[in-house]
Amino acid sequence: MSRKQWMENAFWETEAKKEVNCILELEDDVGRITRQQMFLQRINKDGSENELFNEVIDALGEDAIDAETVDRVTRKSAEVEEEKMREDEHQKARKLEKLFNYKMEAFEVEEIKNSKNRKLKAKLRRAKSKIEVDMYSIMILQDQLEAAADGKE
Amino acid sequence: MEKSKGFIIVASKKRNFYVYAINLAESLRDYYEPEEECKICLVTEEQFLDDRGRDVADDIIFCDDHYRAKLYGMAKSPYDITMYIDADMECEHEDIIKVWDEMKDHDVVFSALTDDRDYIYAERDFSTPEGMAKFTLCGGVCLYDMSKPIVREFMDDWWDLTYRQMNDTWWPEGYIDSLKSWDQFSLWWLTEKEPKYKDLKVGIFDDDLRWNYYNALNWAITKPENGPVILRHFSAGLNKDTPIV
Repeated sequence: MSRKQWMENAFWETEAKKEVNCILELEDDVGRITRQQMFLQRINKDGSENELFNEVIDALGEDAIDAETVDRVTRKSAEVEEEKMREDEHQKARKLEKLFNYKMEAFEVEEIKNSKNRKLKAKLRRAKSKIEVDMYSIMILQDQLEAAADGKE
Repeated sequence: MEKSKGFIIVASKKRNFYVYAINLAESLRDYYEPEEECKICLVTEEQFLDDRGRDVADDIIFCDDHYRAKLYGMAKSPYDITMYIDADMECEHEDIIKVWDEMKDHDVVFSALTDDRDYIYAERDFSTPEGMAKFTLCGGVCLYDMSKPIVREFMDDWWDLTYRQMNDTWWPEGYIDSLKSWDQFSLWWLTEKEPKYKDLKVGIFDDDLRWNYYNALNWAITKPENGPVILRHFSAGLNKDTPIV
């Protein structure tokens, strides 16, 4: 037994409701199901009414298509926002890894490696940017030089 | 007598791990209050040890260059309640002092490998002669009570079994060879297949992402529920093989 059904997720392509985007589901005599996405104009090129278009409207109703169109816009916008958030967080994490590697390089600089100034080293570890790492690295170097000049080390 | 408490960090095989381990140990001291109660045992190769290690660690144990020397180190902990932390992690919150409360009445406590975090795992599902199985415990951090004989034995066995699976002197039939490099496999075997440990009380940290937040996780999808990250795991983003300097 064959079956033909317009799926409920049809939506308007434009605010003027002159084009509808919809999916037709077909089931053949042996139960195989195929789906076909269709883009239907309300009016054919020769000015006549598009029968398939009318069939969709009759089957689903304009109100249902209106509602689905609004839902779809909201859904798509949320998806775009979600994807952007994920991408932003991905980039933040990569930046943090690079910063961590940069700090490890700083900690391997001889003067920083040998520094006993725990406070400055902690500040370097907590630095949120490369420029901050550089700044505390310089402060540690200065501290080392001053300590050497004072004969502390 | 009150049980002693301390952290254990292992740095072997590659010098970069030593640099990471020093950073982790210093970061623990940055956040632990009072700092003098923060006991740290550093397990490392003699060739790596320098003044930084001697300064930051209360106890030092030498190990060889085995790929999984962490398990050797864990089994040698000098502390009753021990918190093992992978060297490529960093402490970033003062709640680190609350780690001991996580012991509760468990014997060992891990962070979890869960389905919703699946997107960052290299190998988790595997077939067994009895059907499909999956790793559920992550060894990146591990809190355990070495004052209990069963736990001491468990730690010895975990190291021993891992050593043997990696040098091909032990491997059960029906398991794919690629699992041999994972200490999660020996952990899974001991907790799931070894009758001796059927009563071992294995727990998961409350809000475990706070205690082992893999930086490879996407914060928009996966984040702790009840507070900021305490221990961040940099595992994936580090070039461990190229010398830092």
